[in-house]
Amino acid sequence: MDRSLPPSPNEAIKANSRYLRGTIADGLTRVETGALSDDDQQLTKFHGIYLQDDRDLRAERGRKKMEKAFSFMARLRVPGGVLTPAQWLAAETIARERGNGTLRLTTRQTIQFHGIIKSNLRLAISGLNDAMLDTIAACGDVNRNVIATANPWESRGHAEVAALAQAIGTHLLPKSRAWHEIWIDGEQHTGGEEEDEPIYGRTYMPRKFKIAVALPPHNDVDVFAHDLGFIAIREGDRVAGYNVVVGGGMGMTHGEPDTFPRTGDVIGFCRPDQVVDIAEKVVTIQRDSGNRSDRKHARLKYTIERIGLPAFCMELERRLGYSLSPAQDFAFTDNGDRLGWAHGDDGALHYTLFVENGRVRDLPDRQLLSGLHAIAELGVGRFIITANQNLVIADITPQQKRAVGELLRAHGIDAPVSGLRRNSIACVALPTCGLALAESERYLPSLVARLEDQLEQLGLAQDDITIRMTGCPNGCARPYLAEIALVGRAPGLYHLYLGGAFNGTRLNKLYRKDVDGDAIIAALSPLLREYAGQRRDGERFGDYAIRAGHVRPTTAGNTFHDDLAPELRS
Amino acid sequence: MPGLPMLPETAPFPAEQITALNRIMSATNAEQRTWLSGFLSGYQAANAPQPAAAAAPARRAPLTILFATESGNAESLADVARKAASKLGFAARVLDMADATPAQVAAAQNLLVIASTWGEGDPPQRAIDFHAALMAEDAPRFDGVRYAVLALGDRAYAKFCETGRLFDERFAALGGTRVADRIECDLDYDVAANAWLGGTLTQLQAGLGEPDAGAAVIHVDFARAPLEASAYNRTRPFEAEITERIKLSGSRSTSETWHVEVSLAGSGIVYEPGDSLGFLPSNDPALVDAVLMATGLSGDAALRAALSERFDITTLTRKQVADYARLIGDASLAEDVAFADGRQVIDLLSAAPHGLSAEQLTSLLRPLPPRYYSVASSLKTVPDEAHLLVAAVRYETHGRARSGVASVDLADRRNAGERLKVFVKPNLHFRLPTDPQRPIIMIGPGTGVAPFRAFMQERDAVGARGKSWLVFGHRHYTHDFLYQLEWQDLLKRGVLSRLDVAFSRDQPEKRYVQHALWDARRDLHAWVQDGAVIYVCGDANAMAKDVHATLQRIVGDQALDALRREGRYLRDVY
Ligand code: SRM
Ligand SMILES: Cc1cc2nc3c(=O)[nH]c(=O)nc-3n(C[C@H](O)[C@H](O)[C@H](O)COP(=O)(O)OP(=O)(O)OC[C@H]3O[C@@H](n4cnc5c(N)ncnc54)[C@H](O)[C@@H]3O)c2cc1C
Ligand SMILES: Cc1cc2nc3c(=O)[nH]c(=O)nc-3n(C[C@H](O)[C@H](O)[C@H](O)COP(=O)(O)O)c2cc1C
Ligand code: SF4
Repeated sequence: MDRSLPPSPNEAIKANSRYLRGTIADGLTRVETGALSDDDQQLTKFHGIYLQDDRDLRAERGRKKMEKAFSFMARLRVPGGVLTPAQWLAAETIARERGNGTLRLTTRQTIQFHGIIKSNLRLAISGLNDAMLDTIAACGDVNRNVIATANPWESRGHAEVAALAQAIGTHLLPKSRAWHEIWIDGEQHTGGEEEDEPIYGRTYMPRKFKIAVALPPHNDVDVFAHDLGFIAIREGDRVAGYNVVVGGGMGMTHGEPDTFPRTGDVIGFCRPDQVVDIAEKVVTIQRDSGNRSDRKHARLKYTIERIGLPAFCMELERRLGYSLSPAQDFAFTDNGDRLGWAHGDDGALHYTLFVENGRVRDLPDRQLLSGLHAIAELGVGRFIITANQNLVIADITPQQKRAVGELLRAHGIDAPVSGLRRNSIACVALPTCGLALAESERYLPSLVARLEDQLEQLGLAQDDITIRMTGCPNGCARPYLAEIALVGRAPGLYHLYLGGAFNGTRLNKLYRKDVDGDAIIAALSPLLREYAGQRRDGERFGDYAIRAGHVRPTTAGNTFHDDLAPELRS
Repeated sequence: MPGLPMLPETAPFPAEQITALNRIMSATNAEQRTWLSGFLSGYQAANAPQPAAAAAPARRAPLTILFATESGNAESLADVARKAASKLGFAARVLDMADATPAQVAAAQNLLVIASTWGEGDPPQRAIDFHAALMAEDAPRFDGVRYAVLALGDRAYAKFCETGRLFDERFAALGGTRVADRIECDLDYDVAANAWLGGTLTQLQAGLGEPDAGAAVIHVDFARAPLEASAYNRTRPFEAEITERIKLSGSRSTSETWHVEVSLAGSGIVYEPGDSLGFLPSNDPALVDAVLMATGLSGDAALRAALSERFDITTLTRKQVADYARLIGDASLAEDVAFADGRQVIDLLSAAPHGLSAEQLTSLLRPLPPRYYSVASSLKTVPDEAHLLVAAVRYETHGRARSGVASVDLADRRNAGERLKVFVKPNLHFRLPTDPQRPIIMIGPGTGVAPFRAFMQERDAVGARGKSWLVFGHRHYTHDFLYQLEWQDLLKRGVLSRLDVAFSRDQPEKRYVQHALWDARRDLHAWVQDGAVIYVCGDANAMAKDVHATLQRIVGDQALDALRREGRYLRDVY
């Protein structure tokens, strides 16, 4: 990395934090404000906690002689997204009693709680801890929640990838006891000095670090979107090993072409027992050579762009002390979820529930919160959150099937949805996300509804087409891997991207700039009409958009901003 | 000669004259002595300076004016009574029940009692000790005490003038002589009270018979600071312009609290932190119309004006039900005076609609009483301004949506630029300590925080060094944290030393200020040891009681009583 530049402010904050303690505990005792000090706000992220404010209320606050409407977002760490019904119930209780009454399933297979005010924060976190849940390292410059394909119907394969996600996550967990001290014991230790972070060191990672494990043929985790990915390669029904993928990432910044989404590179194959070791070594390479001056270029994808893939691989093998075998063949069919009932190879039943944008709440016609509460109370097997913000109710016995089915129906949450809607993802954005430039979760459903009329007429109502929206270019919904993507620019305005691959292997390309709702419909309807008429057998919308020449294919992250139509170049 | 009265050494004569006079006296018979006293008093009258003694009795009779007050009305009446009594030649002294014991009072010859009723028929808190002692088994006898009671109250309350009634009955039971029937005054007490005072004083005076020689003449005159802080009062309010009006509660709040700033410019009105501002509201025009409609008087413009400005068209008392029943000759309604409970005038009129004349209607109604709002500012910080913190009262009873007359008048119908009829209502018993070093603990949830904003502005302005501790509470931290930014600033600058909060609806388990106090009990104890004054302001029904009970648990019952007597436990609750 460029040593001449000064380290970013976050580096000093981490270094002086006594292993992530800072003055958080003291800040929690200050009742006059719902916020924490700026430095502590950076540190709580390492504990899975973000200070936010209700942006819907910003305008009125000052005049009312009140500070911003602060509250906290807390994010669970749930490797592989697997919860017990008891844990689900505990989470729901916390959301009702300490949060805003909703649960938010995320694109990294976990749950976010929103609207927890300071006086409830410790109680919320310790309440989760009582249910054997934690928020450690769910955010911050560390390895994040490790995600894994959610397909319990392949019992053996899923068991292996879930266990692997668990193992990697545990191995890369920060060793600091700060989280327990601050949120559970409530004690304020001056200590921490004697502690040590064998893997991370006292300044942790230059930036967040993300790992995903995929079990083909499903790429529900978008394995190419993460700093590090593992693709399970199977012989028969056992996992023989994993292809290693490095340097993926979504985030970019508008108007800064040297920031771009990037699909990871497959660099080889390893045995299952080597995965954790490889993960650790990749982490340490990024720890040592990631950019600590400019957080906008601090992800592994930029390190690899800078030093080059070969150099990176050499360094990896040097640290491993052995080299990877050649990558093996694999094929992905899709990056979405298969909704509804599935029969497991072990006789168990599984129901994949569509949770629009991951928001679990009770609406008059769709009582998700109550419905899932009732199902969890049956003590049914496991609740597995998918990387598409949906939920798999897994390991249902044939005897329980009727009961579960009736509860789903009774709460109106099993209604079929269109092919576009069931393949839609929206990030949280307003009102809680501090970085949002435009609406997303609160807007996409209605936009999809407008397109559905069209699709109905064109006979495409049941065709799977991926559409993803984010309120800013950070890419939390992995928009750049969708066939249709809308990325927020300003209130009501979005960039429209097309041409992503249905199976998450190809990035999309900018098609229209700064379009509002009407312009989006106007731009998409003719394309959809064409597609309905001219698509080849089984041809996906994203592929068609390229064949028809509406956009050029993006073959690599560093060409994401190239090959644009003239009027789009700037 | 033994048995005969002799002049004491203390008599105002030189020693030899005392011996001489005693010699002469001892030689006189009863008849000579009576003549002599008559001669002397005549001689006195003849040579006394005019006019004082002209109307005056042979000598100034002692009169004790005892008052029990919470918000000062009884106190100001006591002052009025003192002036009148002095004119009549009484040697009047005004005594606050807070500083009096029954034994002291039982020694008085002539006693005038002015007492208000609070809570749900309770005596004013500062009169609690006296009240208890008087009701106790071992209360002193009042034989020979000639007394009369003036009771202040509000007919809107079930136990109207309860305290005055109890005192009246108790004095009689203890042997006192009632010289005039008790008067029970509603909120519009001025005229009635003054008339009664005049009459009663003359009765007391007339009844003054042969002075018994032993009686000590007390020439004490506790002149007190005039209570009206300015020329303006409830009958002659100042028209103050609204300069600022902000709804402080967040748009998602379940409550509705307004910050209202009025200009006192040109009025010369001064107030002290702790005082309240009286406000003369107007009634809800819609309700006025409904009342006119129900009584078939819609046409009467003059009446409409009167109803909106001068008459209380909401409060319904059992007495009014009875009066109305009689008026319209409705026997069954007369049976059912309890109809009044929880209902309002409009309910009565629409339950038994009946055409009325304007006179009949107004004779049913009582005058519209002013409402009081603790001043939330200090003149030292905002000269010529008074800030108010007003909670809009809205609720539903008997299927009708009700809205508080004054609070909703301010919340819904008054805009910046318009004028409010206001006057100052001093509260001498809710003041910052004179010693700026003295620590203060301010317990004020909801609008109870208003006077403490004034306290803080004052202490900030004068640079007072004393520690200050605010305990605030409301429903939701995010939407109801009144003046949050100001408290933050005061804390940062050290004017406010400590803040504790309790928001009841932020979590499943309800949390109120008394819980915050209990959590901080050790520190609270320490502050009290350091001489802190404890202030409580806000809701009287639940909050003040719970806080009181909690303070008792923390500092101890006796200790808390002691603090109250020392003036270190002050409450302004409503
Ligand atoms: C909840 C979630 C989106 C969702 O609707 O599910 C989310 C929400 C937020 N993301 Fe994200 N990100 C979420 C998955 C992602 C993903 C997708 C993934 O990881 O598979 C990405 C793209 C992949 C990547 O990292 O490149 C992603 C890239 C970002 C970035 C850009 C990072 C970058 O280096 O480019 C930011 C901004 C930052 O980190 O500075 C960000 C920041 C945020 C924050 C915390 C905003 C902030 O930093 O203040 C958002 C909180 C909003 C809110 O109110 O809840 N989020 N974020 C996802 C939670 C994942 C989890 O459980 O851990
Ligand atoms: C010394 C003093 C200081 C005060 N300071 C303040 C202050 O700073 N801020 C402030 O907001 N108020 C303050 N008050 C109270 C204020 O004076 C008024 O009493 C209050 O605003 C209500 O007046 P209103 O005319 O709006 O309501 P009104 O028309 O007088 O109606 C109030 C009456 O309605 C009834 N009522 C109210 N709620 C309900 C319910 N939920 N269910 C059934 N019946 C109900 C009760 O009988 C209550 O007495 C103070 C009072 C006093 C005596
Ligand atoms: C909170 C509160 C409670 C009251 N309770 C009663 C009561 O129970 N009975 C009554 O007759 N008057 C009651 N009143 C009316 C007062 O007695 C009346 O306002 C009186 O004028 C106050 O006189 P003071 O200022 O001397 O205390 C109450 C007034 C308030 C503000
Ligand atoms: S993509 Fe942007 S707006 Fe959406 S959640 Fe992520 S950071 Fe917020």
